[in-house]
Amino acid sequence: MPKPATRTSSRSKRPAPTLPPALEAIAKSVIEVTLPNGLQVRLLPSDAVPTCSFYTFFRVGSRNEIPGTTGISHLFEHMMFNGAKKYGPGQFDRVLESSGGTSNAYTSNDVTVYYEDFMSEALEKVIDLESDRMRSLQVTPKMLESERKVVMEERRLRVDNEIGGLMDEELSTLVWKAHPYRWPVIGWMKDIENIKREDCLDYFRTYYAPNNATLYLSGDFEPKKALAMIRKYYAGIKAGPGAPPVLDSEPEQKGERRAEVRHPAQAPSLMIAWRGPQGTDADTLVLDVLQYALSVGQSSRLTRALVFEQEIAIGISVDWTWRFDPGAFTIVMELKQHADPKKAEAALYAEIKKVADHGLEPRELEKAKNNLSAHLLRELATNNGRAHALGTYELMLGDWRQGLALPSRYESITGDQVKAAAARYLAPERRSVVTLVPTPEVEA
Amino acid sequence: MKATVEVPKLRPLKLPRHEVRTLPNGLTVHLVPRGPLPLVAVRLVIRGGSAFDPIGRLGVGDFAARLFRRGAGGETADQISDEVDFVAASVGGFANEENVILSLSTPSRHLEPMFELMARILLRPDFPESELELSRRRTLSALINDLDDPGSLADRALVRATWGSHPYANETIAGKKDISAYTRDDLRHFHQERLGPQIAHLYLVGSFDLDDVMATVERTLGGWKGGPSEKPIVPPWAGLARPGEVLIVDKPEQTQVQMRIGAPGVKRGHPDHFPLVTMNTVLGGGFTSRLVTEIRVKRGLSYGAGSSFDMMSVAGTFTVSSFTRTETIESLIDVSLAEVKKMKERGPTKTELATVQRYISGLYPGRLETNENISGAIADVVHYGLPETWISEYRERIAAVTVKQAAAAAQEHLFGPERCIVLVGNADKLRAKVEKYGPVTVLKPTELE
Repeated sequence: MPKPATRTSSRSKRPAPTLPPALEAIAKSVIEVTLPNGLQVRLLPSDAVPTCSFYTFFRVGSRNEIPGTTGISHLFEHMMFNGAKKYGPGQFDRVLESSGGTSNAYTSNDVTVYYEDFMSEALEKVIDLESDRMRSLQVTPKMLESERKVVMEERRLRVDNEIGGLMDEELSTLVWKAHPYRWPVIGWMKDIENIKREDCLDYFRTYYAPNNATLYLSGDFEPKKALAMIRKYYAGIKAGPGAPPVLDSEPEQKGERRAEVRHPAQAPSLMIAWRGPQGTDADTLVLDVLQYALSVGQSSRLTRALVFEQEIAIGISVDWTWRFDPGAFTIVMELKQHADPKKAEAALYAEIKKVADHGLEPRELEKAKNNLSAHLLRELATNNGRAHALGTYELMLGDWRQGLALPSRYESITGDQVKAAAARYLAPERRSVVTLVPTPEVEA
Repeated sequence: MKATVEVPKLRPLKLPRHEVRTLPNGLTVHLVPRGPLPLVAVRLVIRGGSAFDPIGRLGVGDFAARLFRRGAGGETADQISDEVDFVAASVGGFANEENVILSLSTPSRHLEPMFELMARILLRPDFPESELELSRRRTLSALINDLDDPGSLADRALVRATWGSHPYANETIAGKKDISAYTRDDLRHFHQERLGPQIAHLYLVGSFDLDDVMATVERTLGGWKGGPSEKPIVPPWAGLARPGEVLIVDKPEQTQVQMRIGAPGVKRGHPDHFPLVTMNTVLGGGFTSRLVTEIRVKRGLSYGAGSSFDMMSVAGTFTVSSFTRTETIESLIDVSLAEVKKMKERGPTKTELATVQRYISGLYPGRLETNENISGAIADVVHYGLPETWISEYRERIAAVTVKQAAAAAQEHLFGPERCIVLVGNADKLRAKVEKYGPVTVLKPTELE
């Protein structure tokens, strides 16, 4: 076995001179290695509790799919638990649980993420299990059919029988005309039915190669030993051809887009999205500040105005998820039973216009920054949280250091920047609106 | 199953120092200083939860506790929210079945002012009329919107079918009539009569200076007076309210059915606790449980399935939960009932037991990672009167369970014919399929308001 080249983080260990002590300590503890097959490895040792978390991030999500087989990323995530060469069908979770661990996974538009939480003694077993399925996943017709049924049931649960799911699906097709973000991560029902075994095998070869993955291990372990184990199990896995680039053919939006969802419900609701920048754009952090100022806490702008003062909404939430390609700034309003959605919309736009015209109060700006920094700190409180947060920052921003430096980056954002971002991104011609129109319960 | 199972060798838990002090007014203070992150979690637990709400005013304690921060000590809701939000803290009150709980989470450097604020909303809530009415309207609206969620409908119906009119049902069945009836006097009465230092425990976990914190606690809560001198008692439970019955909540548009099977369980701290927890993990915990294997893996009937014991001070329930398409509901119920029966008659195998013992023990330390987790775990020990070694020896006690003990616990506590089934879905299509499981009652979602 060739000796893998390693790169430790000594070169640029300190992301920014202004890191608070708790973050500085984490930054200093990170060990970084890249194996010759391209696999990136990050170790975050900490002995507070005798457990570890092991994350595998693959740079693939529904963004990498094509019509006809939408949902393959998510279906594939399920297949990853159904047997590889060494550990056959049903073995992954069984072996893991009997070693004192548990696992889960999720698929998003951009990434697919697997993790295990486990007692420290099980580290080698976990590495063995994870590397086995990266090396030699088996996709048998029988397991594929069984898992397909499970996923179809999951779709019925989360979309077809869930009002929020129905609306969200409608919204994405409004916001994006050409980009793969337009279809749901779980895929269209017919596409889920249509996915073939060959599609899965192609998908695996292309996207589940070590050069398309990043490992994060955090918790109570001996770094040298852990690294030796990772090399032992992963170094022999061949690099893949590299994932083909995703073309962003999204045309410019020329005006507001609207849709209705008619469904039995007690009350109407609204989902409104504005097209935003991509995750690495400097404006992304400005929109983070705006998101917090608008919706985090009972004193936030929209909650105070629309929930407590005007009593139009029962609840209001703002989602601004960083994405590889330009994403969407989304506001969800749960309305009162006989509320008029048009009036609710008008009230919301009036609040947004205030920010676009006058910006935030200085205290609001500072409050949003304080909360963003505290959120980061709270994310870092567990082994799982540290691995997930730093891994996500690395994938989204290109480097985990960027994540730890966020508090100081937020600190430098000015009121004028927030005002300008609100005016630019939350403009009427950039928005898409989905209204839930309640219909009476069908008497079958 | 080739999984080789070894006897677990457990690395010791590094439990933080835990100091207990009692103020002259009877308030018990638990202090757990720990780092490294500059954060603190505070939890005040008062034995005055929804089980003690008066008939006709169910839910009043929870409603009042949520109003604490909406005006106190002459400060308006907006002022309080702004103070809390500005420093990225969170503070709030609520009630569960047995307790009223105030919690605070804050960056360490703001602990003193935030603790003062928490004490202020506890001791001097103003219950302004305008906030009361606003909150009433919001609570009623939220209740109506909950009726759109099949999972929450299933849970509401299950509480009626299991607890019936026992006070443990109060929290969930509090409805439109109750909420419409609350007056400001009800809230004041709750505040004055049902809360007090002698039935309260305060927990502080996180990065702080012990002496500074004690000074703050004494200064702010040392003068807290009144309330009950003894813990109120929850009456015993007569047993399942609708044994053998099937309740369908009619949602005609649903293509999927939510299923719950409810039965009596055990109270918290029951001598069979550890055998039961291990046995139930084999049956319906984790991803490799028998229920998941039979329902999801082998038959593709559902995306998820599980079973759980809900344990309170004087009684508890046992629930099997899953969902499936309308056409396959009988298979789902049959498989669920058969798995419970099989476990009751034969118990877990040696391999199954060893697997879950390692699983539970391995993950247990992860339940003690955050300040909030630790304060919750210690509060449980205190509230349920569990042995002091509950946390430190939890893993060892799980590991010590024998196959015989687990089988005996299954035999003793899993249900026989005495169970109820709750379904949420299209009643017309379901009724004929499920009559064989017991007398069927169909409810409209609005009957659960």
